Amino acid sequence: MLKVENLFLQKGEFSLKKLSFSVKRNSYFVILGKTGSGKTMLLESIAGINKIEGKIFFEEEEITTLPLQKRGFGFVYQDFVLFPNLTVKENIVFSSRYKQIIDADALFLDIINFLQIEHLLERKTTHLSGGEKQRVAMARAIYSRPKLLLLDEPLSAVDPTFRNSIMKSLKEIVTRYDTTIIHVTHNFREASYLADHIAVMIDGSIIEQGESNRILNHPKSIEVAKFLGFKNIFPSSLLNENTLGNVFSIDPNAILFSYTSSLTKYCFKCVIEDIMGISDHYKVFARVKEHLFFVKVPKHMFAKLDLKEGIKCYLCIKKKDIVFI
Amino acid sequence: MIRDKGFLIIFIFLAAVIALFLLVPLVQLFINVGPVKLLGALQEKEVYESIFLTLKSSFYAVLFVCITGIPLAYLLARYDFWGKSFVESLLDVPVMVPHTAAGIALLVTFQNGEIGGFLKSIGLEFLDTTTGIMAAMMFLSAPFLINGAKEGFKKVDVKYEHMARTLGASRMSTFFSIVLPNARNDILNGALMMWSRGLGEFGAVVIIAYHPMIAPVLIYDRFTNFGLSYSAPVAASMILVSVSVFLAIRFVNNRFS
Repeated sequence: MLKVENLFLQKGEFSLKKLSFSVKRNSYFVILGKTGSGKTMLLESIAGINKIEGKIFFEEEEITTLPLQKRGFGFVYQDFVLFPNLTVKENIVFSSRYKQIIDADALFLDIINFLQIEHLLERKTTHLSGGEKQRVAMARAIYSRPKLLLLDEPLSAVDPTFRNSIMKSLKEIVTRYDTTIIHVTHNFREASYLADHIAVMIDGSIIEQGESNRILNHPKSIEVAKFLGFKNIFPSSLLNENTLGNVFSIDPNAILFSYTSSLTKYCFKCVIEDIMGISDHYKVFARVKEHLFFVKVPKHMFAKLDLKEGIKCYLCIKKKDIVFI
Repeated sequence: MIRDKGFLIIFIFLAAVIALFLLVPLVQLFINVGPVKLLGALQEKEVYESIFLTLKSSFYAVLFVCITGIPLAYLLARYDFWGKSFVESLLDVPVMVPHTAAGIALLVTFQNGEIGGFLKSIGLEFLDTTTGIMAAMMFLSAPFLINGAKEGFKKVDVKYEHMARTLGASRMSTFFSIVLPNARNDILNGALMMWSRGLGEFGAVVIIAYHPMIAPVLIYDRFTNFGLSYSAPVAASMILVSVSVFLAIRFVNNRFS
């Protein structure tokens, strides 16, 4: 549906470096990257705000130089950009001034019911909370019947207590309004809930892209793994096996301590170097040869093992918990 | 606490000095003139016609700059281009030059030479005409509106424009439906500043058009020919009318914004 080929854009010292990817119709595509990685710049380029090098195709037609008002893409900015001179209702129906909206009245009613904003319609946008602004901005974008909806960190300014319900709504938008979503975020939990496909962006480049589960559970590069919060990344040689990747990662919650070596297949002699007590668990740092493992030990287990700094024991991991990168 | 009081006393004293300096002459003028002479002056045909001419000429100047200066302000606020600093500096020049010098420059340009010849050929005369008065007022006060509008446009995040366009609006529609309404207060303030600056214009107008007489010229004319007692009621009338119009516009804007 959307195909981006070698998209290049230089702004000052930062650039989007020949990005290529495609997005399928009716899918939820998440571009995941840290702040300053160029996600918003990419989204604005797709929308037609930035003049780019490279090509963008939408439904087989090249739209690289098509003015943004003719692309028919919806956009929701991080700070929502609701027009302050208009009421909530006027904001939502703004697009009807410039284009024919099919079944406009029914669509309007459906959107305001779906996003639960009936009570806000006559209000000025400056008096809304973050969550309300977010829903109004979504309503405005959906009402314009976009073929592609571009969301720029839409949950970052929303109170965490409303995030889950909004995420649920976001997921439903694709099927309910027959659209496709490209959502940029730095939050991989958001991505794991919403995305069908993910592209990971670091410093203006797409490092990895693919099906959501695969990217989140089995990243191919160390950079992506680190960004996704993978801990304990060590060379596979430590396991003494022919493995799928050069390095592996193990979840700090999946590591066990023992005073005997027979607990699991992989048990390494270790020395406890540091212990930090947190509310419901202990953070334990244990050295295996030259590698320092980070382990989360529940409080009851910690008391049972009687771990102390400087003691020698075994650090054990199960084969099923190992992620090869 | 004592130090805080001392600080406040010093600041209030200093503020009072300048506030009284600005206010007292105006109040004194009205006290000296008195209500009878003031009403008498307002009923004089020569006075009310000159006041109306002043208000009208300055308003037309504002209108002309709204049409031409607002696009300039938008370009300056939104784009970086070669020579932008030069254009911005140029806009401030009329505020700095002596007003009589500005009047001479306008006369040289619009009354004589090729530009003057061309304007005459299309029926635009500047010497001793309302057009000349308007041009003199506009030359010296346009920067107030242009700079005000520029600051207003800068406050409107460019993302509003992007957003309006993704929703189907053209650039022109976006400008009129989103940019202009959200910069309205600054534009209106600039327009009021320009208009009120135009009302007080004397130096340039007196060079280019002594007649028909605008209020400042009439005040000067009466002062030099008949003295203070004849000019003061005209001055008070002009101040009263312009302040009333100024306050009315502010009231309407606050009410509907």
